[in-house]
Amino acid sequence: MNAQQELIAALQSIPWFQDLSDQHFDLICSITHLVNVDQDTTIFSEGDKEENLYIVLEGRVAVELFSSVQGKIRIYTAEPLDVIGWSTLTPVIRQRTASARAVLDSRLAAVDGRELRKLCDQDYELGYIIMRRIANVIAARLMITRLQLLDLYAHPQGD
Amino acid sequence: MHTHKVIELMTEMNLTIGSKVSIQKSELNHLITLLRDFGYETIGPKIHNQAISYAVVEQLEDLPQGYSSEQERGYYRLHKGNHNRYFGAAPGSDSWKKFLFPPRSTLFSAERENGGWNETINREENKKFAFMGVRPCDLSAINIQDRVFIREDYVDPIYSTRRAKALIIVVNCLHPSSTCFCTSMGSGPQATSGFDLSLTELEDVFLVEIGSDAGIALVQQIEWAPASANYLQIASKKMEKSMQAVTRKIDDPQSVPEMLLANLDHPHWDEVGSRCLSCTNCTLACPTCFCWEVEDSTNLAGNRTQRTRAWDSCFNLSYAAQAGGNIRPTTRSRYRQWLTHKMGTWVEQFGESGCVGCGRCIVWCPAKIDITEEVNSLREVTA
Amino acid sequence: MNSMLTEPTAAVKIDSLLAPYWAEIVEIVPEAEGIVTIWLRFLDQTLQERYSFAAGQFNMLYLPGYGEAAISISSDPQRPELIGHTIRFVGNVTRAVSRLQIGDTIGVRGPFGTAWPLETYQGRDIVIAAGGIGLASLRPVIYQILNQRDLYGRVVLLYGARTPSDLLYSTEFSTWEDNQVEVLTTVDRADESWLGQVGVVPMLFYRLRLDTDSTVVFSCGPEIMMRFVVFEGLARRIPHHRIYLSLERNMKCGQGFCGHCQYGPFFICKDGPVYSFDQLEPFFNLEDF
Repeated sequence: MNAQQELIAALQSIPWFQDLSDQHFDLICSITHLVNVDQDTTIFSEGDKEENLYIVLEGRVAVELFSSVQGKIRIYTAEPLDVIGWSTLTPVIRQRTASARAVLDSRLAAVDGRELRKLCDQDYELGYIIMRRIANVIAARLMITRLQLLDLYAHPQGD
Repeated sequence: MHTHKVIELMTEMNLTIGSKVSIQKSELNHLITLLRDFGYETIGPKIHNQAISYAVVEQLEDLPQGYSSEQERGYYRLHKGNHNRYFGAAPGSDSWKKFLFPPRSTLFSAERENGGWNETINREENKKFAFMGVRPCDLSAINIQDRVFIREDYVDPIYSTRRAKALIIVVNCLHPSSTCFCTSMGSGPQATSGFDLSLTELEDVFLVEIGSDAGIALVQQIEWAPASANYLQIASKKMEKSMQAVTRKIDDPQSVPEMLLANLDHPHWDEVGSRCLSCTNCTLACPTCFCWEVEDSTNLAGNRTQRTRAWDSCFNLSYAAQAGGNIRPTTRSRYRQWLTHKMGTWVEQFGESGCVGCGRCIVWCPAKIDITEEVNSLREVTA
Repeated sequence: MNSMLTEPTAAVKIDSLLAPYWAEIVEIVPEAEGIVTIWLRFLDQTLQERYSFAAGQFNMLYLPGYGEAAISISSDPQRPELIGHTIRFVGNVTRAVSRLQIGDTIGVRGPFGTAWPLETYQGRDIVIAAGGIGLASLRPVIYQILNQRDLYGRVVLLYGARTPSDLLYSTEFSTWEDNQVEVLTTVDRADESWLGQVGVVPMLFYRLRLDTDSTVVFSCGPEIMMRFVVFEGLARRIPHHRIYLSLERNMKCGQGFCGHCQYGPFFICKDGPVYSFDQLEPFFNLEDF
């Protein structure tokens, strides 16, 4: 299997790509490449301008924030078929809001964010599908963050 | 003369359950003596702190003869009426609940022994109560508590022991108070079953209906006459009038449980929650409220402890407190719990409403909250 | 619901309220910070022999001078010769329990409450969604499944805790996995040494492809967590009546007398703690109810 076939096979395994038309699928393929990262490799860092949107295919990737006091704080881990780096697609934020690091040896599909934005602007139909999917990712991430924020398992105060 | 008549008629009339007889009022004294001879603690209405409460009655003279009561929202007054009735005054905050389900009971004590604990159960003393002057609504309340405390899965040993031995003498209501709404709840003003004897107090006699074998045995030992057609007619007319005199109403009582559960977010809960003081008066005065708390008290050495149960109230802040917080932190939520339980979910739990329409919660509420009005307000559709 | 599953109450004195049976602490196993499992054996040998419980039921544990606490039974229902209770030291009573030692005596009443309806769902896929100490009530379910593994389809445990060291029973996970129980864990927060997932229990549903026609969900944990477990379950078209939750309220008597644990028409101590979601739905999102 050559690199192109491998890429196509990988992207076909992603459920929301299966809804794309052939034309849209090809367009996405043309701006995507596969990345293999070893355990502990930093994929991007807080503040980076780097602009890929990643879809985890294998392994596990942590989203982390750095605190000068607490060190790296693990906020979230992405599993296969999960998306990280969604801020790439938001209109204002043009830098990474958190770092991403491979917890296990991982394989990711890296979609060029600048090109993807361009495609979405040119073709609203594709743009709608992508943005709807991203909205879903953000909504899920927000639910998880809220529940974490509540610190549900903290030791109750008083009797 | 009365005696003579009895002897004459005894051969013609066998006393059975359902028999109606008349007795002279003085015969009630005889009945009290008999009950006491049988080992009953005879309990009846007595004046205490300017209100009717229930306490030991040793003779007819202990009863508040000639007294009437006046009830309104947050208002109760006793005064001498222009009559000679023994049961003319309506109950105060007291109910028979305190005898069957005592406000405080020591359950057991435990002592340290050889590194372990040895408990001594506080067995229920052999108390036999004869309740005299149980209002029909309060009889319904006892029946309701029976379903709470005597169930198929578990039985409350204190309640059931006392209840099994209790003898009940009802007094039907011929003069309901303005706060009564028994007709809405189907509990009065006349009792039809569930008593040993039921009395209807006419001007010169008691009409007595026999409700049990114990009732037959008692009446057999006092002087009685078959109830005359005249007395029966007078009683029936007075009862009819009494029924009309119950003017406080709950609209469409059958639909209340469903209506309450459909309105758990009704803005009226906020309104009544702002008036309620969470003082617990209504739950303590209520003859059906059954919640209790349990506590340990220990000696200083920590080697002896006593476990006590005491009446609790869903209005107490501690009632719904648990590690990590309070389930019902606001008065609004506690009032909603009380009312939706009393008149709503109680039906699902025990097969009937937990309210008998006695009006005590209206009379003894320092904020003059009126349960009938709250229920009717909750029914109003909000814009 | 499933009242037939409520076993005859072996250690409840019917002639006296709240009087306990005494049991000896045989073993104390630290599980996490502030959480231990205490293993009990009744002093009365005959009682010990006839005592039985079902997965999901609880006992009232009594410490003279302090009072009682409702504690889920966390051990194997088919091995009632030792009764395990996993206890978090949060209240007056449980904090006093933390000072007890092996050989000490403690009062026990129970078992009380309804059970997880395992018998009803033989042949089905079972998803167990637990948070924190909520796993204590569900560990007996796992044991019961392991005892008769072929009676059930796919079995998945979704388990979340605050940090990796707060995950209860973690030494048992590999045994469970060896017996075809999929174990997915997640924590709210972790440092770099943690190679597992970070996130929350409802999120673990995203990681599964379920046969939702067959799936039954059993959930126990913080109420908010269970709300989102229900949300994820319903989103996957698992019907309301096949999502079961174990509720916690301040149970005091265990017999539906004292009134404290009421939740709408329910006395959680006797009609619960295990309910199907269709029973709870009318009240589930009400504040202060």
